[in-house]
Formats: sequence, C-alpha cells, structure tokens
Amino acid sequence: MTERLRALALADWFGLLLVVLVAGTALAFMQPAFLSTYNIYVLLLSFSLWVLVALAQMVIIAIGQMNLSVGAIGGLVAITFAGTMQVWGLPIPLAIVFGLLLGALCGLFNGVITHVSGISAFIITLATLSIFKGINIGITEAQPFYHIPDAVKAFGAARVGGVPYMLVVPVVAIVGVWLLFNRMVLGRQILAVGANRHAAELSGIRVGRVVVIAHMLSAVLAASAGMLAVARLQLGQPTIGDDWLILSFAAPVIGGAILAGGHVSVIGTCLGVVIVTLINNALVLLGIDPFFVQLLLGALILAAVILNRWRERRREAFA
Amino acid sequence: MTRQGDTGGRGALGAELRSILASNQFGLALLITGLIAVFATVNPGFASPFNLFSLTRVMGIDMVIGFSMMVVLVTGGLNLAVGSIGVAAAMLGGYAMQVQGVPILPAMAIALAFGGFLGWINGQLTVRIGVHSFIVTLATMSIFFGAMIVLTRAEAFNALPREFVDLGRLRYFGFVSGMLPLALLVGIGLWVFFNRTSLGREIVAAGANIRAAELSGIRIARTVVVAHALSGALAALAGLMLAARNGAALPSMAGHIGMGWLLPAFLAPVLGGTLLTGGVISVLGTALGAAMVTIITNGLLQLQVGEFWVQMFLGLVLLAAVLLDRLRGVMAERRRQVR
Amino acid sequence: MSIRVGLPVVAVVGLLAQGALASDTRVALVPGGPHPYFAAWADAAAAASADFGIEAEYRVPSAWELSRQNEMIESLVAQGFNAMLVFPGDAVGTNSTLQELADFGVPSAALAGCTVDPSAASFCLGTDVARSAYLGTKELIEAMGGSGKIAHFTGFLVDPNTTLRIEAVEQAVAEAGGDVEIIQVIADIDAPEPADEKINAFLAARGSEVDGIVTTAWVPAVVAATSLRNLGDQRIKMVGIDHDAVVLQAIEDGYVHGTMLQNPYGQGYIGSYAMDLIRQGCAVKDDAPWLETAQTARFIDSGTAFVDAAQVADYQAAMVAVTEEVMSTFKDDFLDCN
Repeated sequence: MTERLRALALADWFGLLLVVLVAGTALAFMQPAFLSTYNIYVLLLSFSLWVLVALAQMVIIAIGQMNLSVGAIGGLVAITFAGTMQVWGLPIPLAIVFGLLLGALCGLFNGVITHVSGISAFIITLATLSIFKGINIGITEAQPFYHIPDAVKAFGAARVGGVPYMLVVPVVAIVGVWLLFNRMVLGRQILAVGANRHAAELSGIRVGRVVVIAHMLSAVLAASAGMLAVARLQLGQPTIGDDWLILSFAAPVIGGAILAGGHVSVIGTCLGVVIVTLINNALVLLGIDPFFVQLLLGALILAAVILNRWRERRREAFA
Repeated sequence: MTRQGDTGGRGALGAELRSILASNQFGLALLITGLIAVFATVNPGFASPFNLFSLTRVMGIDMVIGFSMMVVLVTGGLNLAVGSIGVAAAMLGGYAMQVQGVPILPAMAIALAFGGFLGWINGQLTVRIGVHSFIVTLATMSIFFGAMIVLTRAEAFNALPREFVDLGRLRYFGFVSGMLPLALLVGIGLWVFFNRTSLGREIVAAGANIRAAELSGIRIARTVVVAHALSGALAALAGLMLAARNGAALPSMAGHIGMGWLLPAFLAPVLGGTLLTGGVISVLGTALGAAMVTIITNGLLQLQVGEFWVQMFLGLVLLAAVLLDRLRGVMAERRRQVR
Repeated sequence: MSIRVGLPVVAVVGLLAQGALASDTRVALVPGGPHPYFAAWADAAAAASADFGIEAEYRVPSAWELSRQNEMIESLVAQGFNAMLVFPGDAVGTNSTLQELADFGVPSAALAGCTVDPSAASFCLGTDVARSAYLGTKELIEAMGGSGKIAHFTGFLVDPNTTLRIEAVEQAVAEAGGDVEIIQVIADIDAPEPADEKINAFLAARGSEVDGIVTTAWVPAVVAATSLRNLGDQRIKMVGIDHDAVVLQAIEDGYVHGTMLQNPYGQGYIGSYAMDLIRQGCAVKDDAPWLETAQTARFIDSGTAFVDAAQVADYQAAMVAVTEEVMSTFKDDFLDCN
C-alpha cells in the first residue's frame, strides 16, 4: 500500500494534482458558486474543448516537433462541418465524417511535407497555418454559418446535472491517447522517434510513417475540437481556433511534456488543462477588474510552474 | 552561418564558393531577386517610390523583431514575450517623452534599458526555475502585457515630440526608409557580437552543446541571461521603431498580449537558417528572411488576389519558397558529393 | 526558380484583375480586418460604383492587426487608389497612415469608427462608440425598471474604444442614481471560445443575482445571447450590439431585450459619395453641423438606433431611411463645392 502510494507520489503529475486540489479548495471557500452544478458544467465544457486542443499539440510534442496549425485546422474543420450541413444539407453523421477526413487530410499534408522535405514542422506548419486559415477566410469571407441543425445545438447544450454530453468526446480521446502511449507499439514508436530520431531509425522504426501518423492524429484531434466548438457556440464562426495556440502548448508543458520530444504525459496534460481552466474560471468568479486579468493570468501560470518544479526538485532530492 | 568550431578561413577558394552557393542565405537572396523581378514586372506600382518606402520601413521593423527572437533561438530557447516587451518598453519611452518631457535620446535609452531588464527577468527566471524558456515567457508575456495595461489603462501616448515621430518618416534617396539602414546597422552589430566577441561565441557554443560548453568552462546560466536581455533590448528597439512609424506609442501595436509579433519574429530567423534547437545563428539569413516575407506580403497585396484569399496565397508562396530553397540545398549538396 | 512559382499565381490573379475605369476616383473601403460587420460595405461599394460612376472597392486586410491594415492601405495607394475610407485599426495609430496619405495627395475619412483628433481624416462618418454604449445602457436600465445589477461584456482592452465604452456604461449607470450597480466587467473576449468560457462562468457565479447585461462588442453579444437562450433565461435583460443573426433572432424570441444597431451600408455608400466629391474639388466645411464626440470634433452620425422586438423585423428599412436622410443634405451641409 505504502509502496503504491509512494509510486503515486513520484508520478510526474502528482504535484499538479496537488496544485489543482489546493486551488479548488481555496476557490470553493472564496466563492461558494464555484461548486454549483452550473459552474461544474461550465468548467467541464471548457475542459472538453481545451483538452482536445492540448492533446492535439501533445502528440506532436511527443515526436519532438511543434504544430502551429492546430487552431487553423480546427477552424477550417469547424466551418466545413457547419458549411456542409447548411449549404449541402449533409446529414450530421456524414458531416462529422467529412470533418474528420478533412482534418486527417490536413494532417497528412503537414506530415508528408515535413517528412519528405526534412524541414522542421515548425516552419511547415507556420506556412500551412496561413494556408488553412486562408482557405477558411476565403470560403466564409468572415461570415459565420448560422444554420446548424437543432440536434447539433442540443448536443452542445445538453447535460446531466453538471456533466455535459460533450464530455464524451474528450473522454474517448483521452482514453484513446493514453492507451496509444502506454499500451501500443505505435505510441512507443512515436516516443522513440521523439527521443532520438536516429536511434529509432536504426532500430528499424519507419520514422516517416510514424511522423505522418502523429500529424494525422494531431489534426483529427484538432478537427474534433473544432466541431465541438461549433456545437457549443451553435454557429460556424470562422474565428474558431484563432485563440488555441498558447493553450495548446501551455497545458502539455505544464503537464510535464518535454518540448525536445520523447516524453509526454496524458494525465499531466489533462491536469495542465484543468489548471488553466481553473485560473480562467477563478478570474471571472472572483470578479477581478478586467485590467488586472491578464497580469494575474500570467502570474498564476508562473506560480503553477514554479510550484510544480519545486516539488519535482524535492522529489529528485528524496528519490 | 556560425557553427560551433567552424571559424571559417580554411579550404580553397573554389570550395568556399561552392559552400556559398549551397548556403541558405544564397538561396534566399536568389528567391528575393526572383520575387522582386516578378512583382516589379506584374505590378507597375511595386517599384514606385511610395511603395518602396513603405516596403523598406516594414522590412526594417520586421528585421529587428526577427533579430530579437534570433538571439534567444541560438540558446535553444524561445521568447514568446517579444511583443509584450516591445510594447511595454515603447510605452515607457512614450511616457518618458510625452509626460515627463525627457529628451528623445535619453528616453529611448530608458526604453531600451527597460526592454533589456524585462529580458533579463526572463533569463533569470528560466535559469533559476530550470524550465524551458517557452513556458517562462508564455507566463511573462501575459504578466508584462497585463502590467502595461494596468499602468496605462490602455491609453496611447500620441503627443510624442516631433523629432521622434519624424524618425519614422526619415527617407534616403527618396525611397529608402530610415528604418532599413538602422536594422542593417543593428544586424552588423549582432554579427560582430556573435562572431568576434568571446561572449557572443560562448552563447553560440552553449546553444550548440551545453555539456561540451560547460566542460570548457563557459557559464551557461550567464549566456542564457545575456541572450534574453539582448532579446529584450532588441524588442524594445523594434517597439520604438514602430512607435515612431505610428507617431504614437500604442498598447495595440503588437496585437493582443503582443502575439501579433510572433509570426514575423519566428519567420525571419527560421527562414534564414537559424535552428530552433540552438547553436546555429545566421544574422544575414534573418535579415534576408524578413526581407523575403515583407516582399511576398507586399507583392501579394498588390496582385489583387480575390478579396479574402490573400492569406492563403501568402501561405502557399511561403511554403513554395521554403520547399524550393530546400530543393536547391539538396541539389547543391548532391552535386558536391558527386565531385 | 521563383518565377516558376510566381507565374501560376499571376495567371490566376490576371483573371481576377479588373480593367480600366471611366471615372478617376478610385476609393477603397478598408475595414480593420475580416469581420462580418463590414459585409455590407461590399454591397455599398458596388452600389456607389454604379450610382456615381466611380470605382469603389472593398478591400480586407488578412488579419485584424494595425500593421497588416497599414500595409494594405499603403499597397492600395501603390495600386493607384486615390481616396481611402478606413475603419481605424487603432483610433490613435491609424492617424500617421492617414497623414501620409494626405501628404501624398490622397484624401481619407474614418468610417464606422473614428480616429482621435488631431487627425488627417476629412471627417468621421459612423458610430460614436461611447454614445452607443451609453444609449444602450440607458435602454437596459429602463427595461430593468430603473434598478438592479448590471454586467458589461466587451472587447479587447488594447482597443482604445473599449475604455471609452467602459466609461460610457459607467456614466449611464451613475446617472441612474444609486439603484443601478455594475457588478462586473469582462473584457478581452473577442474570440468565441474564451467568450463562451467566461460568460458562462459569470452566469454560474452571479446569474441569479444579475438583472441586466450590456454587451459592447460583436462576439460577446453573440455568445451572451446564445448562453441566455441555452439557459432559457428571460429574466435577465440584455442589450446587445450590432446585427448578427443570432442576436436578432434572440430579440425576436424574447431572450434579448434589444440591440444597438449601426448602419454599415449607409456608411459605405455615403462615404464613397463624399470621397468622390472631395476628389472633384469640394472642400470640407469648418462650420458644418458637426457633432462632437470624445474622439473627434468632426463627427457625422451615420445612424445609431436601438432596436427591440417590435422593430427587429424591419430594421433594415429604418436604416435605409436614415441613409437617405443623411444623404439628402450631406453635400450642402458638409461640403463647399465651388
């Protein structure tokens, strides 16, 4: 028992869990509405969207690359999802499949070009960010698609108590990605490529295939996030995805991912999302003067990082 | 390009020429020449003095923004706070000039020093906490920007001294903005710093291989802090240049929390051959990278691509440029191997 | 090598490019970035081109950023546009670009929103953002029966207009006496996902306590309207801004009390007309019936109207009427054409 507890305490996400628990308790005391059913629902809604965005980036961080086009893919899929239903009258399931395929295609494009050219994904996705966002603006001319089927809208707003229906999607994604990295050969191959590309190649891993698959997976996760945003906002806003970049990196990195690749933590990333969501929620719940919000957001992120790092160091000292 | 241990000067002239031809900078220069030729042929307005003036002005500012990121990239780090620092420093400069009546040069010096100080904070935090500068600057971009908003209540300084604003209108030969020569001077200064001073070389060496650098007695922490401070000062300079161009120090100069600068900040050095993993720096490449992006943007805007499609074409041309440059590099490499 | 990349692009572009023109006035209508508010400018530009024999074009910067807009405007001048109607990317920062246009002999005016004086803009035709926020809040207070608690949702703090809006809402509340109170201001929510996150968090914490919501930016208005609809809440009164379909539908269905409308079509149409006259030698009068706002002393109201459920169906007719009214006296009132 103590052994297991010890192992738990040594997990790299344990500090984050402490941060979450302490922050949650403090918030509950400062603002009773924090634990209200509706606020739990609001928190889970935000979590649903952001965790998909964070996982989309995490998969690419795992191979030691960066995907700047996560938001652009999400936005493009969002307006396509809404547009195919409104303009072509596509049934919802087909529109979802179409959206996922489009996402996969964007990822395929990123992955193949990155691998074949040998240029860093950072640069390639910087260019494709512009291309995907450009297609989005070109199609919509900045106008949202308004006519979303009622079933999609209902799904975006439905809940059981404090739990939104939407949570199903990220839960499936989290379990899937966790299994991938902890139980499957492909996941281990992804991490191996991230840790040492050359060694991975020598050990017989087909690096190209792994890189392309990782990019496709990332894009499909971004695509799901884009479609969830449509269901949530009840319209196909062309600006969906514009604001994802910072969070997509912040959550995995707070969660212990190493930007150089080879090490990511699915649970850590989820907790990273929870921390950022809590901070955003707290800034509203406590009625902070809007002029101070940005300052406090930065300070709290820094505090979370320092706290986690401090605990890690202590752990290293005792281990 | 400055590579660890490659101090140049060896090899025959022919080999050197070949390596120049194979270099990333040469490829960029080639692309830029081609782009200019195309744009000037297709758009009569492209080569007009008015356009060249505004083009070189944007180019100069984007170069300095690119330099600001470059000096941190070489350590293997990132500085997401370039925009925040640039705006915060320019706002302080504006405050000094407009409210406190500080003369222009001291006010600019204050702004540069403040930018350097904010960068120093980034460096110190990175070293002390021991996490990647990405996450540190992610937090400080919010903190610096937020503090600026709190202190200024988001109000601009728009009664800056005439002489300062005139800097933005400075014009040479009738069509070159004063911003471009300034950026080039800064570039030369940076080249000398990274190639000819021991501190500069230490920064590059530490970025290339921390272990090796440590063993050879380089104080890694110091190189990181210096690079961040330098980055902050360069961001401040870009902020001042933009303030002169806008005739006012504006909180919105770099977009929401300074994110508007990130694209030019990353594009220029990365196109120019500076590696994100650190240890490789190319000042000339960064300058050329900034020049290319500015020219593509400007040229595309004039081509009258349909209303809303400009951004997509920008992305396509960028991608094509990067791929072509890579293709040229690969072919040059092959030709060299055949011989 | 780059020529090979360049040519296909050029070929595509050549097809889209337009031919020579009859009139010598080429006016560009430049918004701050891609945004649904400005769609009506495209129609207005087309109508103005047909009606006044000029070339009016709607040209959109690729992103909502001052530098991008400045680059756009500069490139338009290089393309030979000789008059400019600009939604200021920054109320202060756009002035230097307008001044350069003036130095180059290109007249300009601020459209939809104003630049801060001193400015090279011939005039500002649009919405007094402060007044619109003030009037909207007044309407809200009235709908609340003169007392209660208000929340204010608005856009980016770096936009100088945001501070003006916050102050205008405060002023309206102060004038209502002690019975009305602003309990929270949420800013920086111009992107839809953060807006959804924060507005719902607010409703979770203080939804039962708040009596009225005033929104002074497009996205917060849309998101707040959707949130109230999802909650099925018709107790909280809300006054929105602009004419997004979501907001208008919510007004019809009773979830939103009303919205503060602007007149983008009229702005584009009258603006193009005025620029053509100025190009033909008309001078802007100093003693015209200018309105004075917090930003400029040369303001022309393009029509700001509060629309509630009763008028929402035919708000466009109201705007056409306002446009015609401004148009009918514009030349005599504001211009000196000798």
